[in-house]
Amino acid sequence: MTNLSPLTEVAPEVPRSRNRWRGLLPRWSPKLGTGLGLAGAIVLFGLIGPLVTGDPATIRDFGLTPPGGEHLLGTTVTGQDILAQLAHATRGSLQIGLLVGIMATVLSGVFGIVGAYAGGVVDEIFSLFSNVMLVIPGLPLVIVIAGFVPPDQRGTGTISLVLAITGWAAAARVLRAQTLSLRNRDYVAAARVSGEKTWRVICVEILPNLLPILASQFVFAVVLAILSEAGLSFLGLGAANSSTLGTMLYYAQNGFALQRDAWWWFVPPGLIIALFGGALALINFSIDEIINPKLRDRARRARDVVAVETDTAAAEQDAVLTVKNLNVVYQADTPVHAVKDVSLTLRRGEILGLAGESGCGKTTLAYAINRLHRPPAEVTSGSVTFHDRDGEDVDVLALAPEELRAFRWVKLSMVFQGAMNALNPVTPIRAQLQDVLRTHRPGMPASDREKRCAEVLRLVGVDPARLGSFPHELSGGMRQRVMIAMALLLDPQVMIMDEPTTALDVLVQREILNEIKRLRDELSFAVVFITHDLPLLLELSDRIAVMRDGEVVEYADAEEMYLRPQHPYTRELLASFPGLNDDRGALIR
Amino acid sequence: MTTLEVRNLSKTFHKLRAVDNVSFTLTPGRTVALVGESGSGKSTVARMIARLVRPTSGEILLTSSDGEPVPRKAYRDHVQMIFQDPFASLNPFHTVEHHLVRPLRLHGRSRAEVPHLLERVSLPPDFAHRRPHELSGGQRQRVAIARALAPGAKVIIADEPVSMLDVSIRLGVLKLLARLQREENLAVLYITHDLATARHFSDEVLVMHRGRIVEHGPSDEVLTRPEAPYTRQLAAAAPDPDARFRQGGQP
Amino acid sequence: MNYYVRKAAFYLAALWAAVTLNFVIPRMLPGNPVDILMAKLQQRGGSVDPAARQAYETLLGTGGGGSVFSEYVAYLGNLLRGDLGVSVSAFPAKVSDVIADSLPWTVVLVGLATLLSFLLGVGLGALVGWKRGTWLDALVPATTVLSAVPYFWLALILVALLSTGLGWFPLNGGYDVVLDPGWSGEFIGSAIYHGILPALTIVISSVGGWLLGMRNMMVSAMSEDYVLTARAKGLKDSRIMIRYAARNAVLPSVAGFAISLGFVVSGSIVTELVFSYPGIGSKLLQAVQNNDYALMQGIFLVITIAVLGANLVVDLLYGLIDARTRDRSVVS
Repeated sequence: MTNLSPLTEVAPEVPRSRNRWRGLLPRWSPKLGTGLGLAGAIVLFGLIGPLVTGDPATIRDFGLTPPGGEHLLGTTVTGQDILAQLAHATRGSLQIGLLVGIMATVLSGVFGIVGAYAGGVVDEIFSLFSNVMLVIPGLPLVIVIAGFVPPDQRGTGTISLVLAITGWAAAARVLRAQTLSLRNRDYVAAARVSGEKTWRVICVEILPNLLPILASQFVFAVVLAILSEAGLSFLGLGAANSSTLGTMLYYAQNGFALQRDAWWWFVPPGLIIALFGGALALINFSIDEIINPKLRDRARRARDVVAVETDTAAAEQDAVLTVKNLNVVYQADTPVHAVKDVSLTLRRGEILGLAGESGCGKTTLAYAINRLHRPPAEVTSGSVTFHDRDGEDVDVLALAPEELRAFRWVKLSMVFQGAMNALNPVTPIRAQLQDVLRTHRPGMPASDREKRCAEVLRLVGVDPARLGSFPHELSGGMRQRVMIAMALLLDPQVMIMDEPTTALDVLVQREILNEIKRLRDELSFAVVFITHDLPLLLELSDRIAVMRDGEVVEYADAEEMYLRPQHPYTRELLASFPGLNDDRGALIR
Repeated sequence: MTTLEVRNLSKTFHKLRAVDNVSFTLTPGRTVALVGESGSGKSTVARMIARLVRPTSGEILLTSSDGEPVPRKAYRDHVQMIFQDPFASLNPFHTVEHHLVRPLRLHGRSRAEVPHLLERVSLPPDFAHRRPHELSGGQRQRVAIARALAPGAKVIIADEPVSMLDVSIRLGVLKLLARLQREENLAVLYITHDLATARHFSDEVLVMHRGRIVEHGPSDEVLTRPEAPYTRQLAAAAPDPDARFRQGGQP
Repeated sequence: MNYYVRKAAFYLAALWAAVTLNFVIPRMLPGNPVDILMAKLQQRGGSVDPAARQAYETLLGTGGGGSVFSEYVAYLGNLLRGDLGVSVSAFPAKVSDVIADSLPWTVVLVGLATLLSFLLGVGLGALVGWKRGTWLDALVPATTVLSAVPYFWLALILVALLSTGLGWFPLNGGYDVVLDPGWSGEFIGSAIYHGILPALTIVISSVGGWLLGMRNMMVSAMSEDYVLTARAKGLKDSRIMIRYAARNAVLPSVAGFAISLGFVVSGSIVTELVFSYPGIGSKLLQAVQNNDYALMQGIFLVITIAVLGANLVVDLLYGLIDARTRDRSVVS
């Protein structure tokens, strides 16, 4: 009887942070630094600049002075100081950007978040409305509206409102999609079960998790507003009596700044818009990385295959695959030794079970055998030798890229976990099976290819008429059968199966297991079967290796392991699966 | 003593009868297992009892210890739920404390009970300040159990509480549930796809298939001598190394 | 509901919304456009009889008299007949004729530039995503900063550098004015020559958006199991990149076409002004500057319909490239 206190289980090692907001802050990167620095400088210029640069409207009698001297950025055609104008204009543009950003974000929140959370008819109507607003082009609408409003009534508020109304829809769509996914999270259901009110569920449970997306959409709305306002002002349709970078460009254009080579009048306002937009885009990259951690920068990799001992030592008789002292390390800031000195031998036609819990390194080991591991994982030492039917030994870790490509699937094929995503969702089954033949049997006539694909499908009990089906049209069990059929295409000598039945129901799992046993008996390939389910392995495999923390702690015949488990961890695992026919209650009371 | 009775419960989604005329009773101090495959409707039953999904027809009757029906407003004081995925059932943004204080507050209890709640699920009191990503799967599930206990609930719906956990810690969590059930005389509905734990951790079992209860009875009887063809199929499909080695049969 | 039926229903709703918006805006906003128009008309020597006035009132609303509903019905009737009123800025031309003259210029320019920008952005994005961790990564911030540059500013800088400075391209216009518009080789050549710089502006400003979106999706797609399967199958890298990763990664870019097209069209309107391009954008601004409300509304309607049409085509194509959408019955 095991007595597992919760503290024996290793908690994930993460830096303790008392501050909940810490997790929401972007990771520091040069991009983020540049972005924040630039944006900060421009905001500061807009805030402080107008206080120190003097009156931008003062007219002097020396127009179009080039930069330098008293007027750092030169003067306009009427002798006004460009730097002073620029400071005021920057402030104006930032104000409008901020105002529109806030309004648009609120609008998108109401239509995106509330609609998606409410669901049903409200969601349908809100979503239809957002989508309609989205496909109606924004600027033409703004131009038409601005055109109808007499200039004396076109205030900053009106323009901001119009820009916000035409600019929120895209963000609402993004927020809706994310809210729909959050709404179905169990923690939202749990909050409802504890009796939380709807507004509290939205504000306290959902909203904080939307913050990165809201931030990114806000930043985007600010950039869009500044750009649109600039366009509008440039067309002479901006707010009356306002001073923004757009109006500055309007006056520069109408004063023929470029034609008179007065680049100092025309270039700076546009440059500030571009720099500010670029800075916010850089900040947004970092926010995107919080939303989708896959986007984080990866360190460049210098080496791919590392010097390995090519000591393809005397192979066991009848072996088809020998793994010797294999070590795989994840080269992170603190390297993780995921596979430690593992040695295994797979005999011809046998089923070798690889058992272990999540994070024990079993999948890393399986991928390393076929060199499918990706950076930062790296094979640091050891050897993988494939013993071909014709007696030739292949040092898998030493294969050149083209040789490796030719080795894969021909000698050793794989069946992955969760067949939903292992099949390409956008092409029919036929194309995915034929791909293998096209690549590895280039000379094969099309009719033979078709025949072979139908043949392997029949082998696994799938109607060849299914060749034209897309993956989503098949049930989970059927998809896993197709995966196995694909693995059979080239008649490989080894098949590695990574949790092939985990996502399936018991009855379907039973069918697939029977299918694997039957095919193995008929076609006599060897199987490495990876799973966390030790009883399943005990029933299915010839030999079993139990892995823990990257090490093989026990490696024995299935019967031996079942009757006389040696390692305490094996015993613990075995005890974790009460048998249906064991004495009832022995485990609890 | 709170008793929950489910009468002729049905739920239809887009013309599909997900739950079809299901009836059973949860009584204090007993665990009822609801066994079925994915899509059998067992989770929908759980969500209807937890008032997350509205039943198409049928009744859920809650009777308090004095024999009176529990008023609608007080329903959630009595009935709470534990979810399947401990990685999804805690809000990544909030601390463990938030997850426990909210249900305490909502049901008129004091936040001073947090350390006691943690103790009941065998977690040290300083865990209150941790956030979900600092906990292992098993620890998260213990927090989820504490959250369900916080309102003082007497009926606990446990929807596959260990299926997402690593095998070596499953028993620990199940034992905790069993201990709490004994000590606090809870009525527990244990939903699972695993016949073996259903037998070991429940007094009664309901086998569900395509929305219907196909077999019902004491766990020992139903699971060792199944009557319904579907239950037999399920029992035969589970991996069983005994058959291979004890009876000397090699496949 | 069938995917195609649902899409058609959505675009009908959007069309109705645009048409109605067009009807409501002049009635909701301050000012009295009809009086302004009549005054302009008089200046140009047009007839100011009650019939002309009534035509404008149907379009823009009245100060009183006549129910809004009957105006709405009359407005819809006029639209169905293609009658968008008379332009005052191009008097006595009809609005529909003004639009018919300028629309092809814009459709060809914006259409080709958008297509070019989409292909370039998606292609580069796929490559940058695939070759992640190489120098190509620098393309992402570089092009994104370019999309934060105002279209018109970039256009003017390009003109100053490439046309005024180097003399490589004409300053403005859609074709050499000494030529007669027609299907002659010389004219088409001149039109292409004049179109290069405006198109270049649009491409430079919009390529970053496509590139970033595609690159991010490519990065996500590359960690999917089907790409791992493809690698395990020993397929060639180019095949995995195109048939497996990019084929899936491009879907959101196509689905998000609506959003991006709106931006491109908005930007190109201002670009047309800079180049005095004879397209619909210049006409819209000309209409706004001359208070030519009828023309403004007509152009807005036509632009909207064109964008809706383009989106409809893209949506229908999307149904072809992703089989899952066709089978999904619930609204996404």
